[in-house]
Formats: sequence, C-alpha cells, structure tokens
Amino acid sequence: MVTKGTRWYSLLLAPMMLVMGAVIGWPLIQTFVLSFTDSQLMDASQPTFVGFQNFIAGFKNQGFHDALKVSALFALVVVSSEMVLGTGVALLLNEPFRGRNVVRALLILPWAVPTTVNAIMWRLIYNPEYGALNSLLFQLGFIEKYISWLGSADKALGSVMFADVWKNFSLVAMIALASLQSLPDSQIEAAKIDGANALQRFRYITLPHLIPSLQVALVLRIIEAVKVFDIIYVMTKGGPANKTRSGSIFVYQEAFTNSRMGSGAAYAIIMVCLIMILIAFYLRGISRKEN
Amino acid sequence: MLKRKPLYSTLLYLAVICLVVYLIAPFLWLIIMSFSSANDLTQKPLRWIPSKLDFSSYKDLLTMGINSRGELFVNALRNSLTTAFIAVFVSLLVTIPASWVLSRYPGKKSWVLTTAIFTFMLPPVAYALPLYRMLTRMGWLDNSVSLALVYCTIVLPFCVWLIKANIDSIPYELEESAIIDGAGITKRILLVVMPLLLPALGTVSLLALIMAWDEYFYALLFTSSKEAITLPVVIANLASGRQSNYNLIAAGGVIASTPPVLIGVLFQRALIRGLVQGGVKE
Repeated sequence: MVTKGTRWYSLLLAPMMLVMGAVIGWPLIQTFVLSFTDSQLMDASQPTFVGFQNFIAGFKNQGFHDALKVSALFALVVVSSEMVLGTGVALLLNEPFRGRNVVRALLILPWAVPTTVNAIMWRLIYNPEYGALNSLLFQLGFIEKYISWLGSADKALGSVMFADVWKNFSLVAMIALASLQSLPDSQIEAAKIDGANALQRFRYITLPHLIPSLQVALVLRIIEAVKVFDIIYVMTKGGPANKTRSGSIFVYQEAFTNSRMGSGAAYAIIMVCLIMILIAFYLRGISRKEN
Repeated sequence: MLKRKPLYSTLLYLAVICLVVYLIAPFLWLIIMSFSSANDLTQKPLRWIPSKLDFSSYKDLLTMGINSRGELFVNALRNSLTTAFIAVFVSLLVTIPASWVLSRYPGKKSWVLTTAIFTFMLPPVAYALPLYRMLTRMGWLDNSVSLALVYCTIVLPFCVWLIKANIDSIPYELEESAIIDGAGITKRILLVVMPLLLPALGTVSLLALIMAWDEYFYALLFTSSKEAITLPVVIANLASGRQSNYNLIAAGGVIASTPPVLIGVLFQRALIRGLVQGGVKE
C-alpha cells in the first residue's frame, strides 16, 4: 500500500535507518558471518569457512565459561547492591532534615564522574603501597599489614564491584527519589489516620508507588552490568589470574590480543544470544504480571 | 508537623552523615591528590593533608609542548569534545524526524523502535570487530569523525527512546489545528512540535553528551594518536604506566570529571526527569 502519505513518513525515517543500518545492522550481520570463519586480525587473505567449529570450541572453552560466570556474578552482586542501597538512600533523602537540598544535590556527583575516572580513582585508593584505603585501615588499627586489593585473586573482583556500586547506586537513588517526590502526602496522611504503622505504610503505599521507576532503574542497570568492560579493564585488565575477566573482556582479548577475529566473533554471537534470552525472560515476566 | 522522637532524629542525622562521607570522600581525595606533590603521596604513613599546594600536575597536563604529555592531554580534551558533539548532533538530526513518525503513527514501522531499543542492550563487542576491519580498510582509524559515527551506536538508540516518549506527551490536537490551517508536515514539525520539544531536547542532548564523553571501549580500539585519542583513553593510559605520578593521574581525572559534574549540578532536576520519562511511559 503506497499512498502519498506513507512515502513522506518513510522519507523522515530514512536518515535514521541509514545510520542504524551502517553502524549497527551491517556490523552485526558481519559479526555473524565472521563467526563461521577462521579470519585473523592482521591477515588480509580470504578467510576460510569453518562451519560451527568456532562455536563448538567456544562452548567447550573453560576460560569462556569462567568469563561468563564473572559477568553474571558481577551483574548480580552489583545491581542488587545498587538497588537496595539506592532505594534506602532515596527513602532517607525523602525524610525532612536540615541541609537536605545540599545532600540531594551531592547525589549526582558519583553518577557524573566518568567511568574511567571512577576506575582510576579507586585504583589509586586501592594502591597496595600508597593507597588511601590501606593507610586508613592501618592507621585505625583494622589491618596489620597492607593488602593488595586489586592484586589478590580473592579480593580483586569484590574491590572492582565496590567501585562500580559507588558510581551507579546514585542513579538508582535519584530515580527512586524523583518517584517518591511525586507521591502525594495526602495518601500517607490518610493511611496514618487509618492507623497504619510505618512498615505498613511502606509496604502498601510507598513501595507499590516506587516499583515502576525501580523497574526502569533495574533494566538500565542490568543492561549496563552484563556487558561490563571499561571499569574492570581499566582497574585490572581482567587479572589477576583472569579472576576479573568478564565476557566482554574475553571477547576483546580473543579478537584483538590473540588476533583471532573469527573465533572472537563467535564468542560475541554467543554473548548476544545469552543477552537476548535474558531480555526475553524479562519481557515474559512483565507480560505475565500484566495479565 | 509532629514532633519527632530524639532517638529517631539521632539515627537520621547519623545516617545522613555516613551518606555524605560515602558520597564525597573518594572524589574529595582525588582532588586532594591532584593538588599534592608526588613526594607527599609516596609517604608511609600517608600524608592526608598536603604539605603545600602543588599545581604542577595541572600545569604539566595543560601546557602544550612538542611531544609533551601536555600536548597529548590537551589534544585529547579537544578530541573528546569534538567527538561527543558530532555524535550527538548527527544522532539528533536523524532521530528527531524519525521519532516524530514513530510517535504519531505508532502502527507504522514500530519495529524500528523495537530494533533501536534492542540494540541499546547489545554489548559493543558485537559490532566492534567488523567496524574495526571496515575502518582499517578505508583508512579511517584514528579519526574523530569516524569515531563519532561509531558512537551513534550508543547515542542514537538512547535518543530515539527518549525523544519519542517526549513527543508522545505533546498533544496531537495542536497539530490537528495546524493541519486545518493548511500546514504541511515540515511546518507541523518545525513550528508546532519543535518549540514544545526544545526543553526536552536540551535534556536529551546533555545526557547524550555525557554518555559520549564517558565512552572508552571504541576509543580504545579505534584511536591511537593525538589526532583522535579521547580523554578516557589517555587517563587510563596514564594510570596503567609504571611510574608513580599519582598526582598527575588524579589531576587528569579531576579535569575529565569537570564538564559532566558541572552539567550534573546545574541541570540535576531536568536530567533526572529526562531519564525517568523514557521508561515509565511504556
């Protein structure tokens, strides 16, 4: 059905679709094609088709399994901490106290600090010899000797997670606070008159009001966290002993450090499929709730 | 207002103090480090207050000498700005008309919006490999304009998502009366929708600029010299060096944080409203 109108609308959509096609659609298809070849980073010769070999090797690779586990663990711990901390802080900043506006304004600071700056900032704080954290804990008598926070296999991931929570809990807190401010006081007052205690007021009035915006924050954060690359890469480069190597870092190393483009593309496609499954579960969860 | 119990007040203020310390202590320490001398920062136990204010790290980073650290840093600052502005400009230019269609004719091409939001969720590694090969082949590596176009993968989906939600909230009746007055599509968009959309566009552009300013992955892959390298890459490189110029690293971090923190402080309300709007409407 081609009417004059339809042509107009297509014309308005066309520039965006052109850009999306060039920088999103086409590369995605190319990644898919590459994943079936033995293409190398620096080799200009025609790559050979290798079928599902890259995928079979990928599913068997223990290093990749570990990297996916790191991504999953990172996303789970970081996002749940940010949600709990962010909601708590929003509730706190919704209570009246002196200087509340100043504290509310400060809330934007962690969010506004660029991710790489956040990463180097915490690297400096965690520095094993001259870092502020070691010095502080030592001077307060909590530790006997300095700890290598990012250098020890059992502490590195936790330390990176702590740095990520500092930056990103503030986004959750700001979104939740905005939602709390739109909750009319009269509802809370009415519940008080009906004899509801603080806990009941939270459970039956505040929380249901908060949930839609918390969901937005949750989705935004999960999307960011499962594809995590920069904060980990700047802080530890995936080490020590690959204990902080996330899925994205694994793919990056396979394609650009080991120069195996084809195999790297296959890992990228596997990651894309896993993220799509995650999105599908989320969408199903939403539609079930609505029914 | 009801009088509050003293215990409640004490706990409340205690929690607020903890929060304030948590919020500002790390960044305050970064600022202090940036004004300390390298010597003060390598003491054991650590000197918490610098013996004297030392501006040398800022001077070092912001003075242009041939092949100096300052030259690279200042160039990176300029490149970061150029790349972010081009990416946001291109994204807005193509998303505004498209968002209008997606908002006013929801049935038509709704898959475009779904695709845009979907791509927002995919990891950049999914596109990075072919983009790298393509840019290498065309000789477009290490170039601010091509980096900005690549940034559209991140900025563009975000812009469609928010701008469409904002056009949704502009009453269609306004356009209908313009149609009766004989306005065509161009007039409807430029004279009716755009003036009402401007505040929201401001918010979206600021958010998108911060997003592009923050980007590290593509810049790491696609830039290598002062021609196009961006601030996040330079700062990460400073920090991964073996030398212990901690004050220099800190100063770089403070400089890179200044524009987004200023934008954040000045436009906090608008930014949060903009972020929330996109999601809650669905």
